[in-house]
Amino acid sequence: MHDGGSALGSGSADRPGRRSDVVLEASGVCKSFGGITALSGVDFDLRAGEVHALVGENGAGKSTLMKIIAGVHVEYDGVIRLDGAPARFAGVQDAERAGVAIIHQELDLVPELTAADNIFLGREPLIAGMIVDRRRIAKAARALLARLGIDIDPQSRVGELRVGEQQLVEIAKALSLDARILMMDEPTSALSDSECETLFKVARQLAAAGVAIIFTSHRIHEVVALADRVTVLRDGRHVLTEPIEKLSSGAIISAMVGRDVALAHRDREPTRGAPVLSVRGLTLDTVSRRGWRRVLRGVSFDLRRGEILGIGGLLGSGRTEILESIFGAARGWRGGDIAIDGEPVAIDSPSDAVGLGIALVTEDRKARGLLLASTVRENIALPSVGALARFGIRGFAREAALAADVVEKLSVRCSDVDQIVSTLSGGNQQKVVIGKWLGAEPRVLLLDEPTRGIDVGAKQEIYELVFELAARGLGIVTVSSEMPELLLLSDRVLVMCEGSQTGILSRAEATQETIMRLAAPGLGERATGAAE
Amino acid sequence: MNPLRLLSRTKLYWGLALICLIGALASPHTSSGANIFLSYQNLTDVLRQVSITGLVATGMTIVILLGGIDLSVGSVMGCSSVICAMLLTKSGWTPASVMAVPAATIATAFAVGFLARFIFHGLERGRDVEAGRRREIVLGPWRGYRLPALLGFAAGVAVAAVASLQVPTKFGVLAVLLATPCFALTLGAINGAFIVKGRLQPFIATLAMMVSALGIGRLTGGQDFAVTPVYTGTNATETFEVLRSMVWGLVPMPSIFFLVTIITFGAILRFTTFGRYVYAIGGNVEAAKLSGVKVAQVQFSAYVISGMLAGLAGVLFVAQYRQGKPDAGSGLELDAIAAVVIGGTSLMGGRGGLAGTFVGVLIFGLLSDILQLQNIDSNVQLLMKGLIIVGTVLVQEQNLGQLVTRWRGGPSATAPPRAGLADVSRPQGAKEASIVREDINETS
Repeated sequence: MHDGGSALGSGSADRPGRRSDVVLEASGVCKSFGGITALSGVDFDLRAGEVHALVGENGAGKSTLMKIIAGVHVEYDGVIRLDGAPARFAGVQDAERAGVAIIHQELDLVPELTAADNIFLGREPLIAGMIVDRRRIAKAARALLARLGIDIDPQSRVGELRVGEQQLVEIAKALSLDARILMMDEPTSALSDSECETLFKVARQLAAAGVAIIFTSHRIHEVVALADRVTVLRDGRHVLTEPIEKLSSGAIISAMVGRDVALAHRDREPTRGAPVLSVRGLTLDTVSRRGWRRVLRGVSFDLRRGEILGIGGLLGSGRTEILESIFGAARGWRGGDIAIDGEPVAIDSPSDAVGLGIALVTEDRKARGLLLASTVRENIALPSVGALARFGIRGFAREAALAADVVEKLSVRCSDVDQIVSTLSGGNQQKVVIGKWLGAEPRVLLLDEPTRGIDVGAKQEIYELVFELAARGLGIVTVSSEMPELLLLSDRVLVMCEGSQTGILSRAEATQETIMRLAAPGLGERATGAAE
Repeated sequence: MNPLRLLSRTKLYWGLALICLIGALASPHTSSGANIFLSYQNLTDVLRQVSITGLVATGMTIVILLGGIDLSVGSVMGCSSVICAMLLTKSGWTPASVMAVPAATIATAFAVGFLARFIFHGLERGRDVEAGRRREIVLGPWRGYRLPALLGFAAGVAVAAVASLQVPTKFGVLAVLLATPCFALTLGAINGAFIVKGRLQPFIATLAMMVSALGIGRLTGGQDFAVTPVYTGTNATETFEVLRSMVWGLVPMPSIFFLVTIITFGAILRFTTFGRYVYAIGGNVEAAKLSGVKVAQVQFSAYVISGMLAGLAGVLFVAQYRQGKPDAGSGLELDAIAAVVIGGTSLMGGRGGLAGTFVGVLIFGLLSDILQLQNIDSNVQLLMKGLIIVGTVLVQEQNLGQLVTRWRGGPSATAPPRAGLADVSRPQGAKEASIVREDINETS
């Protein structure tokens, strides 16, 4: 049985990224999906012990390339050489046997099993060929996690771990397969900054031990922080491969989009309208197997017309729960008062909230935001179907007009409004999720990670859209894990820490440092931010 | 459109056509040489036979589109048949009338009340759209609750009065047509309440109802009345015959009920907000809920509709077989689910529709007709049914184009690439558009 030791044990002292032994080489890789070209003639090489970032906009072909290398896609043109010998994998297992492992963006763990069981799922050591040797599993898993320097109890259920920890379990699993090449698709998209740090530490450690790592990320600063070399893809073509020292963030971005992109700028003054949403003493209690837990401990703020209020804090600090509680979608018992335009309201369900002119754009657009199998038109019309209908008979023409209007206003790139929404790119899907609320004419827009998993160009468009909506007089509350985004968007920043509101910072006060100080638990001084 | 794709889209109808063709070719002929299968008499008989399953399958389709399931329809139908038979044959306050009259009263009161409110809402909303303003409409107290409540109350009183007048005599055909579905509808409402409010899984809630409704049916019928016979003309009203007659000598009455129902609900699913919400909830409950869809209301309504149609099927059963019996619908729920699934509606919800269910129901009806004409054992019929379910669903789920390519058997399309690190730079195999589309999503 593998215990993952070889990957780490055989490490040499060479400086990572300087070793010239190429472990994997792809040349002229082409792949098309039914007429749509995903990759055309991509060359790529990977050296042992390097961290190689694969960047590009959505649809540039990063995931496709990784999936070809990992044996997920078995039909393609071109040659892939592993250690100099041409290799063509028949499937994922085949690739794993050759030491190539991939960690998908959506993790493949069984939440009901323990971390140890997940690591050895399908390869359990047996006693007498029949009984699962749980003690050996536990021991091997413990050794593996310890060697990676990961502080996770192998006996804890994966479903109870945080996303960042789950990610590390996936890495441990890949290493237990003796992976020499480890690919991670968007490993950080759901992680908090501190979890990213842990992940990076583990990645560097692995690279030092000779494992070649490929990862993708939409966050350029992470690429700069972690990668030894960067390959940029655009529209399925290879643009450049350079050591990170030779590239600046700006250079990477312009290579990705193929033009110079003005980085996010902001030319709006915080408006001072009347409060549209007032929240007083918002609390939320949830019950789980471990018993009662207070998730929100009294959150109070006023949101003015045309204002953008950012909510900062670490993952699990209760940011999303604030939005869900206001929207009537939180699971659990809610306390506190909410007023819209100064009038106290009772919001018991999302439909109440929608009726009052509140809209929520969820963090997970695929699971909670979209009807993936439906068309763009139906997704956009969904919240307004009732309002556009007459005596319960749908107003098809009005729905179509609304959808066409939204598609044009938000410049959603789709062939027509009858395109199935799952075939759009991430950024365009996100525009649909935001756009579906425009027809409902909300007064308050709640955004949860509005640019998660979308590329730089689309991000920019989303930011501009948010500013435009605010200028139209909507009150906007936005949650973001990305500090630059939070600072860019927010007129004020409300900071959460472990369910408590630790302060509201004005635009002048808000910096990465002040926010982090309020957000990090146990950092001593708890500045009491000016509440208004 | 690409012919293969057209074929793939309409494959269900081709299946129906194939069955008809087989039926016509295999059919015995009368002495005068006429094809029995194709005779008008035979085809209307098929339509008559599928009506009961068809009604139940219509309600089932809506429930399944929502991502739910209703296992209770068979028992509810049986129970309703007992209630119906008893109302027809016994006068006075029998167990049946004790249950059916209040059920009818309450159901009508609520139905009229909601309808009134809905109409007032529609009037307001229409105006607001014209004005270009779209906001939640808040109706005044009178039009919001008081007037609808009043109207509902009045309707309830009226129904209670008419029904109580009926009680001393035996119920007539219109009275049972109203009272029995109302009774079944309340059973459906109980299902819905447990699922929506009690957060029970539909499978469990309706399984419980399936068992309970059988019990209710047996209790209602009484120990000695496992079967409650209905002899129109002697122990029931003559006019009840109308429910099994041919309309203008052309179409059997049960089929009229079936056709009108399936067309009505087809239109509801297609053209109303309710229909949109059904598909939206089936497609992604969470997204629908967060878009402000009143998920609980829609789910509740679906189970109510399913129960109501099972009740209507119960009345038609009594008319057809001249009896009510508690286990009349045993296995009916599975037939209905099979018809829905054959019709291409996904058990996961959100995909499919009533056109498919109609074809699914017909395929079953025609199949048993063909086998009966051939005098084939009914157990063989069961076997064939099973095969058809598996076969059609296989064809439905797999992409037809993919199957065709596989059959044509280019090794490039079928054989997995050789394992391992062998040196192969072989040409690419044929690709299928549909798989591919999903792949693109993953990349984005």
